[in-house]
Amino acid sequence: MAEQGPMTEAMYYILLALLKPGHGYGMMQRIKELSGGRLVMGPGTLYGVLSRMSREGLIVLTSEEGRRKNYAITGAGRDALLAEYARLKRLVADGKLMEVEK
Amino acid sequence: MRNVRYRFHPGEYELGENEKFYSDMEAKGWRLVKRGNRLSRFVPVEPSAARYRIEAFCSGFMEEPGLSEGQLAVFEDCGWEHVDSRGFLHIFRAPEGSGAPEFYADPRQQAATVKTVQRNFWWSLALSIGVAALAAVSVLGLSRPQWQWEAVKRFVQLPGLFISYGLWLLGLLCQLVYSTWKINRIYFDLKKGRPLDHNPRENRLRRFADRALTCLAFLFLLSAGVQLLFTNSRDLPAEPDGPYIVLDDLGIEGERTDAMFSDRESSVTHTRSPLAGYWETFEVVEQPGGDQAWLYQYVYRLRVPALRDTLVRALMEGSTFARGEGSFRPVEIEGLDAAWVVPGGLEAVAVKGELVLYAEHLDMSPGEPELEALLAAWGKAGEGVLP
Repeated sequence: MAEQGPMTEAMYYILLALLKPGHGYGMMQRIKELSGGRLVMGPGTLYGVLSRMSREGLIVLTSEEGRRKNYAITGAGRDALLAEYARLKRLVADGKLMEVEK
Repeated sequence: MRNVRYRFHPGEYELGENEKFYSDMEAKGWRLVKRGNRLSRFVPVEPSAARYRIEAFCSGFMEEPGLSEGQLAVFEDCGWEHVDSRGFLHIFRAPEGSGAPEFYADPRQQAATVKTVQRNFWWSLALSIGVAALAAVSVLGLSRPQWQWEAVKRFVQLPGLFISYGLWLLGLLCQLVYSTWKINRIYFDLKKGRPLDHNPRENRLRRFADRALTCLAFLFLLSAGVQLLFTNSRDLPAEPDGPYIVLDDLGIEGERTDAMFSDRESSVTHTRSPLAGYWETFEVVEQPGGDQAWLYQYVYRLRVPALRDTLVRALMEGSTFARGEGSFRPVEIEGLDAAWVVPGGLEAVAVKGELVLYAEHLDMSPGEPELEALLAAWGKAGEGVLP
């Protein structure tokens, strides 16, 4: 697996969506739901990121229903997601300084 | 009402231009069904507003550029109808206001997809330059050294074909360079976060230049076709009907026959190019003793006098048996502006006004006096009755 740097927003939300296995379109709906409608992911973005994460072993193809492919997060993907979540939490915690300064 | 229409589409590297082109056609009542090499096919529909989007995708250099079934399913689930794919272009359509999301919310993600296409263009450019360089080295290094002089002769005879071919090559080169530049620009714009323009202004200058070059190449090809259509090839008449001579003018008598090593018979071919009228004759007779006498002639009536010196040199350098211009010796012949023969050889070249002659003569006793006699006969000859 490649060394993980900070994740893009698309990667983070796709991994988050894949905590519950699903297919491409289902993922897009779930991402929209998870982000409170803030993030509408296009099919181009989704497939580009899925291909990359599949190559990096963060997700895995689990089954195919007709033309639809179902993906699930792998152990490495879960670790990367947790690491990113921890990093983001640290960033937010550090940023609390701004609230004190108000 | 016609049930199908074909239109030239923008180049494959013009992503936004293609999207706009297909949307505009649909607004006029023509829906895309198939994208070909240069033309797209449309069928009539009720005019409507539709968005067309192009996914420029390929897996890698020289790899199958198709989208997987899984990819197509996601696009279609999002409300995008896959219309057609051609090369790395995958064309989708959605009615305006359908809510189908744009393919990319962030241009940088689209840049990641376009990157493989951009690399392919660079590879293609490098490969084309490599092949062209290899072809040039092969032609220059391996072919007869006189090839360029042969090209000059053929150019004077049939310029339309040469110019058309040159324009076609120029068009290919321009397109290759422009397309690489354009896809490169799209890639770097996306990478910097600038979204693809789905409604760009038409680049009229480039389009005009492209079409003008294509039209010119076609016109020159057409002129070459017309010239070939009117090229006249027939049995060599007993009396010359053009600015050439026959063996009889040299006092060589005999019966016309087939050439010894081929079935070629005595003939004359005449054509008129924009640069010159051209006669090519071949004559072979069987003399009373049983030996054959041969005479080949290329006669040019130049419409462009400036070509004279180049053509004379090309005829000398491209001669069949002599070793180029250095083998020819100038001779003074009455009635000719300039004349040269190959001492002990078979070839002669002469200039008379706008006429240029190249002759090869084989007789029982070939030599300089025979060649000079040939040139003298040509100097005195009239121009016959032109066909």
